[in-house]
Amino acid sequence: MTTDTTVGPDKGPDKRTGSPEMRDLFEEQAMPFIDQLYAAAMRMTRNPSDAQDLVQETFVKAFAAFTQFEQGTNLKAWLYRILTNTFINTYRKKQREPYQGTIDELEDWQLGGAESTTAMASRSAEAEAIDHLPDSAVKDALQSIPEDFRLAVYFADVEGFSYQEIAEIMKTPIGTVMSRLHRGRRLLRELLTSYAIEQGLDAGRKAQRVTQSQNEPRSTQK
Amino acid sequence: MTDCGCEKAKAELEEYLHNELRGDDATDIRDHLATCDDCSYEHLVGKTLTEVVQRACKETAPEDLRDQVLLRLRTIASGH
Repeated sequence: MTTDTTVGPDKGPDKRTGSPEMRDLFEEQAMPFIDQLYAAAMRMTRNPSDAQDLVQETFVKAFAAFTQFEQGTNLKAWLYRILTNTFINTYRKKQREPYQGTIDELEDWQLGGAESTTAMASRSAEAEAIDHLPDSAVKDALQSIPEDFRLAVYFADVEGFSYQEIAEIMKTPIGTVMSRLHRGRRLLRELLTSYAIEQGLDAGRKAQRVTQSQNEPRSTQK
Repeated sequence: MTDCGCEKAKAELEEYLHNELRGDDATDIRDHLATCDDCSYEHLVGKTLTEVVQRACKETAPEDLRDQVLLRLRTIASGH
């Protein structure tokens, strides 16, 4: 009589890393985030080829660690943590930005002038002028602000992460997140406002003409 | 003037915009914005900033990338 004790009653899914069951689950849950992760990677690396490599690397690492992901917790934030880590460890070294690591300690005046904000006739004109800027101008402005500020702004304003989640993703205290956000948004606003002034978007009459010609409701691309 | 609420509102507008204020604090700002043009315009600029950044940052991952990722996942999975 032979009783095979090695074959247990366990008929549940194979939860080992890399098993087909885990792969299916991972694909189903993580793949829908690929567009968002790619968009974030584009803001991080600033070019499509590095962004694609970074996203691929992120998915491979996430898949390898997926058995440690606790189902029911925030998968999106978990994926962004891996993305950000991978970026910092691999690509940031390659790109060598100046002031890295000290940017949080710079004084406001060292970051750039604040004169342009007051040059707009009124703040309603400022909001309208900013609203009419082309996407390319907004992307250029984002790319030109310090990386840690850019990422904080991206995580809060585009991804809608809470300050606590951003603190975890960027591995930094919440106070630093708030300061990066505040300074990043202030720099962005100055850049966009001065760009609008340069383009003459603030001159009352002209701004109005722009408004009228674009009066149709904005198509909301998904 | 210290009782007009502008000082508190200006300091907290960004947190308000990002839904980081809870209950009473958020209500205070909302009430203040309803009566203060200056702060409402400031808030409008902040909201617009968020909107244009969201709009400008939309991307779709190239089909190629999707295929490559799936291929790599399958290669890893079949290696076990």
